[in-house]
Amino acid sequence: MKDRLATAVKQSRAGYTEIRVERTWSSAVAFRGRRLETATVSEDQGGFVRVLNEGYGWGIASFTSLDELPAMVARANELSRAVRLDDPIRLAESAPHAGDAILELDGDVRGVALAEKKKLLDRYNSAMLAVSDKIVDTQSSYRDEVSEVWYVNSEGTSLYQLRPEVVVSGTAIGRRNGNIEKGLESIGLRKGWNSVQSFENQFRVVAQRAVDLLDAPRVRGGAYPVILDNELAGVFIHEAFGHLSEADFVYENPQAREMMTLGRRFGKQVLNVGDNGAAAGLRGTLPYDDEGTPTQDTPLIKEGILVGRLHSRETAAKLGERPTGNARAISFRHPPIVRMTNTYIAPGTKGVGFNDLISDIKLGVYACGAFGGQTMLENFSFTAGWGYMIRDGKVAELVKDVVLAGNLFQTLDRIDHIAGDFTWNQMGGGCGKGGQFPLPVTEGAPHVRIEEALIGGDV
Amino acid sequence: MIDRLLDAARGKVDGADALWRREEQTAVSFESGRLKAAGISEEAGLNLRVVAHGRMGVAGTTAAKPDPKELVARAGASAELGEVVELAFPNPSPQSLTPISTFFDRTANASLSELIRMGRLLVERLARPDCQVNVAVQREVADTAVGNTAGARGEYRTTGFAVTADITRIAGDDVLMVYDQYVGADMPSDADLEALVRSVDTRLTAALKIVTPPDGALPVVFTPAGLAAVVLPLEQALSGKTVLQGSSPLAGKVGEALFDARLSIIDDPLTPGRPLSRPVDDECVPSRSNGLVERGVVRQFVYDLETAARAKTQSTGNGRRGVFGKPHIGYTNILFRGTNGGAQLAAPLHMLGGGLIADIEDGLIVDDLIGVGQGNVISGAFSHPVGLAYRVQRGEITGRVKDAAVAGNSYELLKKIGGFGNDGRWLGARWSPSLLLEGVSVARR
Repeated sequence: MKDRLATAVKQSRAGYTEIRVERTWSSAVAFRGRRLETATVSEDQGGFVRVLNEGYGWGIASFTSLDELPAMVARANELSRAVRLDDPIRLAESAPHAGDAILELDGDVRGVALAEKKKLLDRYNSAMLAVSDKIVDTQSSYRDEVSEVWYVNSEGTSLYQLRPEVVVSGTAIGRRNGNIEKGLESIGLRKGWNSVQSFENQFRVVAQRAVDLLDAPRVRGGAYPVILDNELAGVFIHEAFGHLSEADFVYENPQAREMMTLGRRFGKQVLNVGDNGAAAGLRGTLPYDDEGTPTQDTPLIKEGILVGRLHSRETAAKLGERPTGNARAISFRHPPIVRMTNTYIAPGTKGVGFNDLISDIKLGVYACGAFGGQTMLENFSFTAGWGYMIRDGKVAELVKDVVLAGNLFQTLDRIDHIAGDFTWNQMGGGCGKGGQFPLPVTEGAPHVRIEEALIGGDV
Repeated sequence: MIDRLLDAARGKVDGADALWRREEQTAVSFESGRLKAAGISEEAGLNLRVVAHGRMGVAGTTAAKPDPKELVARAGASAELGEVVELAFPNPSPQSLTPISTFFDRTANASLSELIRMGRLLVERLARPDCQVNVAVQREVADTAVGNTAGARGEYRTTGFAVTADITRIAGDDVLMVYDQYVGADMPSDADLEALVRSVDTRLTAALKIVTPPDGALPVVFTPAGLAAVVLPLEQALSGKTVLQGSSPLAGKVGEALFDARLSIIDDPLTPGRPLSRPVDDECVPSRSNGLVERGVVRQFVYDLETAARAKTQSTGNGRRGVFGKPHIGYTNILFRGTNGGAQLAAPLHMLGGGLIADIEDGLIVDDLIGVGQGNVISGAFSHPVGLAYRVQRGEITGRVKDAAVAGNSYELLKKIGGFGNDGRWLGARWSPSLLLEGVSVARR
């Protein structure tokens, strides 16, 4: 395959040409309540060509018929030449890489019978249903894939990557009359069959929580000191700050560049943030990004000061910085754009734990788990799965509908304590941007305290 | 392709249905005011569902030359693990299909330079000092064929055209983003593009001044874009699937008046000129318009073949399927209207608030919320920070509010609607006017 792509690249008349071909083997099982929804095996395959000519823009073609490859290269070249540019697009230097990058399959999912996968998910699904007769519905899904990705460009990069992925998730719906609550568990790893075998207890816990939330009051809206648990703190840093560190937001926008000037203070001394696509076995982990650049650990905030951002080759060239291996596409159907990988808040002082963070809070909220988050750059939302009130330095009653309304500049600067209990999230969701969803990413964080944050709700 | 596949399935399984779809797109994108990229995409895929020994299985492929035998075997293996279902594959006469206009020659044939011309026009009209304008223009042609072993066949072509424009304005640490779109089966007229420009321009201009948000239980006008959080719970609850699963708050409520007596909700696959309109659904069921809520009364839920069989009712023609996975329930064009039909575009788009703000002493117009769909949606409860919202004082818009969050419960709020705006419009696959809702919780920092 590499040779076939190399030949097509050679025949291209464009200044720069890259070809990505993917073949993804996947299987999926889903339950809804006690009923099996589906158990299927699929194969998806296709190609992506992107070319650039001096003084012209990008020409792009994506297709499922690989027989069309040479024609698609020619077509992409025509498209590029239809886009005249005064200010040419440059790509930052990226040393050519050749070779195979085979990630650890950890139990090759292609060798496990579909019936076994159904049995595993049935176990987790049944664990949720068995918790209470108030669990009226569940949505459980198992999905695995092994994706083969070939990437060749006209600068000599030629790569074959094998990327595994496995996701098990379950939603338990608790209901009492008109009152409906949910609990959500999700495990997603860039690993295989062996890594998802022992999660019954987690599924039981979320179902119990859906039941418990039926009796919980809604949180009262207002400004509170808020402690984020590890999972939500991770989602928080992804939404609140991560998206702004993606250089495609600033590279052609002078005002945004000014706002995101390296060296600007974003937080207190305790705050350290980064993005690490090279960390082992996590959902956002990749040896190379979709432009053939090796991934790395990129510091973004050091002791409260903005020190870096995430780049593709194009954004790096424009800003005179180095590519960071963050150009990613969800599939051959899309061009690579600047995305996060595994984004983290680094741990604070060793030995500092959750109790140290709450001891001086008279009235506050402990926000836990994540249903999701979304950013509009300056402002963002993140939805906790559940929460507790903190009263007089102690965790008090369970509350529901905990949604934090954040403002980047105010919220980051109000992080005043960070615990030492760092963990990586292993959630199976994904990130959406520019019509590309879900991109596998994850986050990591310790418990984090925000002096004051706005929580929505009845006032 | 469909015929060959169904022939291969015949005799091997009790019954089967299939969908083949080929899509071809052209797109151009303007970044920060300049044309940056042009692209095409071509994709074809085949989805097969079988019932074998009473059990259901599915398989799909994007292979260029799919092997019918392999696909049937894979669907058969899926069925071995599948649930027992009593699917009756329909066989409607071709005459029973309502002809609708889903294909427009000039859209199918729109050239790259035409797309570029539209994009440039928008970029020029939207250019402002210190603002970044992004525009994307895309045309699409799709061919769909559906069929089943009962003998049904359906084929149709659709075109689609989408134009999106967004402006980002950064002043110091204030980030303002304003966005709008045109989506239709046919390409936009110059008047449509002009309406898009004015919509973005109006909302940008009204947002330049920042004012303090109010707080308390207040009257709030949700624009068609802002309404998403309020109507999403209803869309989930009106799905026959959530009803079957016992998680829909509307289960068992057919015939009950649960909403404002002026509110009707219709799913209509026969609306001319919409990209999701179709003569037949993805399971060979003829399309028809379905009143789900009529004048506040819950009338029916939407079903596909499988959920209809389980609920012992008929499919409403809401079967939807992709290349991979099994058919599921999907809305087509969903309309939220007031009794009088809600005059479409009676008010020009640049009138923010749809004529509903005159009597508001202190409240908000909500045009965009952040994090919609991420909470416990089906319960009806929502709570979101505002993405774009304006304060209304003594009947006038006084400026944009930031750092505020709105919360409420859709079922409670929609019992009594303060007013239906005169600004009804399509936003993707949803049509609605602005709605004035009373007693929405607004919290501020």
